[in-house]
Amino acid sequence: MGVEVLTGFLYSLVVYNIPLLYGTVGEIFNEKTGSLNLGVEGTMAVGSLFGYLVGCWCNSLLLGILAAMVFAGLCGLLFAFFTVTLQANQNVTGLTITTLGLGIYYFVGHGVNKNLGWPSMQAAANVAAGWKAQPIPLLSDIPIIGKAFFSHNIFVYLGVLIAVLSWWYMKYTKAGLRMRAVGENPAAADSCGVNINRYKYAHILLGSAIMGIGGYYMALNISGEYLASTGWINGYGWIAVALVIFAKWNPARALLGTFVFGIFKTLEVYNDSIVAAFPKAFGWLNAIPLKVYTALPFIITAVVLFAGSVRKKSKSNQPAAVGVNYYREDR
Amino acid sequence: MKRYHIVKRDLLTPGRRIVFYLLAIAAALLLGALLLMMTGVNPLSYYFKMLTIGTVTDSGELSRLAYKQVENLIKVFVPLVLTSVALSVAFKMKFWNIGGEGQFLVGAVAAAFIPLKFGVIGNQALTLLLMAAAAMAAAAVWGGIVALLKVRFGTNETLMTLMFNYIALYFVALLGEEKAGWNVFLDPESQRPLFRSVWDFVTMPAITIGKFSLSWSLLFVLVLCILVYFYLKKTKHGYEISVVGDSIGTAKYAGMKVGRIIVRTMLLSSALIGLAGFFKLTSAGPLSTSLTDSVGWTGIVVAWLAKLDTVGIVITSLLISILRFGCSQASVTFGAVDSRFADLLQGVILFAVLAADFVIRFKIVKKEEA
Repeated sequence: MGVEVLTGFLYSLVVYNIPLLYGTVGEIFNEKTGSLNLGVEGTMAVGSLFGYLVGCWCNSLLLGILAAMVFAGLCGLLFAFFTVTLQANQNVTGLTITTLGLGIYYFVGHGVNKNLGWPSMQAAANVAAGWKAQPIPLLSDIPIIGKAFFSHNIFVYLGVLIAVLSWWYMKYTKAGLRMRAVGENPAAADSCGVNINRYKYAHILLGSAIMGIGGYYMALNISGEYLASTGWINGYGWIAVALVIFAKWNPARALLGTFVFGIFKTLEVYNDSIVAAFPKAFGWLNAIPLKVYTALPFIITAVVLFAGSVRKKSKSNQPAAVGVNYYREDR
Repeated sequence: MKRYHIVKRDLLTPGRRIVFYLLAIAAALLLGALLLMMTGVNPLSYYFKMLTIGTVTDSGELSRLAYKQVENLIKVFVPLVLTSVALSVAFKMKFWNIGGEGQFLVGAVAAAFIPLKFGVIGNQALTLLLMAAAAMAAAAVWGGIVALLKVRFGTNETLMTLMFNYIALYFVALLGEEKAGWNVFLDPESQRPLFRSVWDFVTMPAITIGKFSLSWSLLFVLVLCILVYFYLKKTKHGYEISVVGDSIGTAKYAGMKVGRIIVRTMLLSSALIGLAGFFKLTSAGPLSTSLTDSVGWTGIVVAWLAKLDTVGIVITSLLISILRFGCSQASVTFGAVDSRFADLLQGVILFAVLAADFVIRFKIVKKEEA
């Protein structure tokens, strides 16, 4: 019994928390170019809804992913247009993307539900089939770990791939280096001939599109049932904003952070069965109120944020120009 | 080759600026109307329902419960206006207090603690006074910590207040789930964990005019707005806030104690938000995680729409309250439209106004280049 619970716990840890990875990597792309985009929650909501609807109506998983990326990307475009071109305040713009995005989610979702009828995921055979787990040969045969880490749907593998590729891109490519320069010191990058606006637009759009896939994931993960009260994203976007800090703006660390934060999210559900399976080792878990798990990611992030600011600025990894708009003539 | 350049332009006259903003709002409402038409709803009748906040019945007569609707609108307006004004105090200093939600909840929890733990202390008025004081003190601590960290270590206040929001939110959620001897916030009568209403002990007094009862909280809040207006415009503190907001360097050079000003202002900002939590708690019933009704977020939008001007904030808060409460009323009649259409509309309006801001601040010139 213990082995089954452990496997189930690890499996859920991966399957429920990969959307955090998408949201976090997307936000890292934003913040690395100096844009604190607080619209993650709304961007993911828009991506989730349109991805799901288009995917089901066209009966195509690929079109669903594309739609999620395009519509979330439009949220990014809105953010970029207002903060980069129109020089509007980033905090206000980002928060409004969240408000607007959630408004769109409920307005369109409710409207489709009432007027057209909600499309079911099972009816869209290709989407349902595409969501099925695709065990990796050989690796998935390893006891416990095989089931927990190598028997997932393609979105899990895709998310990990995106995180690793993003890490490589930011660390080792010329474009990645320039992108980081834009986030650290846009004036200096500008004087070296880097097109600041183009870099900002490109990475905000790319980051938002990645968030959109995360949203689509969340929709499919609950079988596309429309949630009229809490919504599909239900705070994951905000955890992603926190996770960026925990991950120190590094997509590879985001992978690790996703699982650390994920442990708490998963414990909310698995607390009782873990205690039942391992009463000796984990009996003390029962003394912890479940909501402590929900709060822990934010408490940990607050501590990390605090510790980062106490240490020397150069060690905290936060892009120096994050949150600051760049207006060339103000130099 | 011709290239377009964005250049700052001279200040427009107030009249022309207002025209731009009105055009922006009209454009936003027009877009909303198009969306409503797509769901098969007549936008004119929807907007009519929204703007009259359910005081007019479907047959076009004044509803017999119209007074009730105005009372409910006031319940929405009071916390929003106080939160928005409080946020604007911090924003004037370019201190990004996006922790309104958390400070609001912490204030409400502290206010609820007084009667739920000690019962009525002395009389109703004294109890209410102590509740208000507790709310302000607790919220001030919650916001003050962030200001202190910012001043002492340069900790990013935007992200820190954001984290504090969620810590406060899940603390309230925890209080709502844990039945225990120490947890005075739950109803002892109920088997299931259920928040106990402070109405068991205290009620906010009201002036009754016929059937209509005008809550004292509205009067208090309006007086507070006037006080904040004078604080920002006429006092030394207010001047210091605007200098720090313009340039910390200038403030330091002028011999101002910047750290102290930041902490002091943030204490004030968060204490007022805590007070808003107290007013909401005493007017809208028991504690809950949704007690804030998103005023911490909406307040940021309101403060920004009103350009941090206190009088503007009062007017904008009223309009946004009508929009939000009106949409919830309209959704009763128009089943096809979710009540959170208000969020969508609010977002579109803000973007339209931000675009108008740009047109007002900058102009685009075409330049010939070799």
